[in-house]
Amino acid sequence: METITTIISLLSRYGMMFVKGTGVTLYMAFLTVLFGAILGSLICLARRVNFAPLRWVAAAYVEVIRGTPMLLQITLSYLTLPELLHMDIQPLYCVILALILNSAAYVSEIIRAGIQAVDVGQAEAARSLGLSSSMTMREIILPQAIKNILPALCNEFIMIVKDSSLGSTFFVGELMTVQATIKGALYLTLEPLMIVAMIYFCLTFTLSKGVVLLERRMSRGD
Amino acid sequence: MIKVTNLHKYFGELHVLKGINEEIHKGEVVSIIGPSGSGKSTFLRCLNLLEKPEEGQILFEGVDITAKGVDIDKHRQKMGMVFQHFNVFPHKSVLENITLAPILVKKMPKDEAEAMAMELLAKVGLESKAQEYPKRLSGGQKQRLAIVRALAMNPDVMLFDEPTSALDPEMVGEVLEVIRDLAVGGMTIVIVTHEMGFAKEISDRVLFMDGGVIAEQGSPQDIFGNPQNPRTKEFLSKVLNA
Repeated sequence: METITTIISLLSRYGMMFVKGTGVTLYMAFLTVLFGAILGSLICLARRVNFAPLRWVAAAYVEVIRGTPMLLQITLSYLTLPELLHMDIQPLYCVILALILNSAAYVSEIIRAGIQAVDVGQAEAARSLGLSSSMTMREIILPQAIKNILPALCNEFIMIVKDSSLGSTFFVGELMTVQATIKGALYLTLEPLMIVAMIYFCLTFTLSKGVVLLERRMSRGD
Repeated sequence: MIKVTNLHKYFGELHVLKGINEEIHKGEVVSIIGPSGSGKSTFLRCLNLLEKPEEGQILFEGVDITAKGVDIDKHRQKMGMVFQHFNVFPHKSVLENITLAPILVKKMPKDEAEAMAMELLAKVGLESKAQEYPKRLSGGQKQRLAIVRALAMNPDVMLFDEPTSALDPEMVGEVLEVIRDLAVGGMTIVIVTHEMGFAKEISDRVLFMDGGVIAEQGSPQDIFGNPQNPRTKEFLSKVLNA
């Protein structure tokens, strides 16, 4: 009972902080998925070109990113990026960059799987009509693959909403940072944690319901 | 029109085509029959290089299409292909399925391509479906669409890869009807089929394939009426008495 009253008073006094934290979390996830999708497409493209060394580099990149912890990648970016670029980069953007580089590896796999899921007969039919391989990709494969890719991309967004919490290690202002700030100021552990848990859950639950709707709409064409 | 010399195809360790020599002449209707796994479909798919042979030569209208540096896309425009599983494009309307390649590859103006597509659709009784999407078509209608899609490129030869094998029995007739019309109209046709009655009726020549080679060939009367090779006899007695 006491916990609930504490939560309510926290919300009424520090509500704006949670709203801001939610904003930063969504901002991070949005930028990550946007640029992750662009970079991921390029990686996927690199894995299909007719030049073996580029294929190897792209494949190695995906393996290394998927084979190391995200927290390590974020820490590495935080520690080395400003020095590497000789620029004063805010910690938030060091974290976002690490998230983008990480997400791109996963997105490239999402796109690859989406393309592979299109029946090979589709490409054969297109090629048998005299379409070049790039025309076939553009006109036949990609429009069908997008149906597999888009829902998976939205799931990636949900993952990033949660993974962005790792940014709190460097106090970048997203939800977990807000929680840590309030905890430190008021010596309250449980209540702020419960509040951000609820916010995370509301975000991801709504988004995943949206994905289900999207999937249903996409499959209508089949 | 198509001259095949010493064609070999491997799938890994598997030697699927073991030296095929064959010539398809203009205006000829050639059926390929034989047990499954004999290499019929692989042979057909080699003709437009959907399968790349490891050895041998394919001359199409005088050009060696297996040679390095050949623009195969250009030659494929002249070889229509129809598949067992139709492979119509589900995200394009019936009309777009047909006009896609003429517009994209031949740079045909859109209205001209559409007029031609409607004419072709009328020939196979699908003109009322022009704006529909393939999911609304039956199997037989999809296959008729696939045939028309290939015809829209005005090919010199049509390759059919078991065009009726995936159809419900009651739809086989409508598809064979379209192929028969093509044959009567003088189109050069190579067809892999299990429809023996149809092969007998429309073919100028029948090839019996077994174990990666053409084991026997001849007129339909000879192959079906008086087969020489014991493997041909065995195969025909199995399929005709089934």
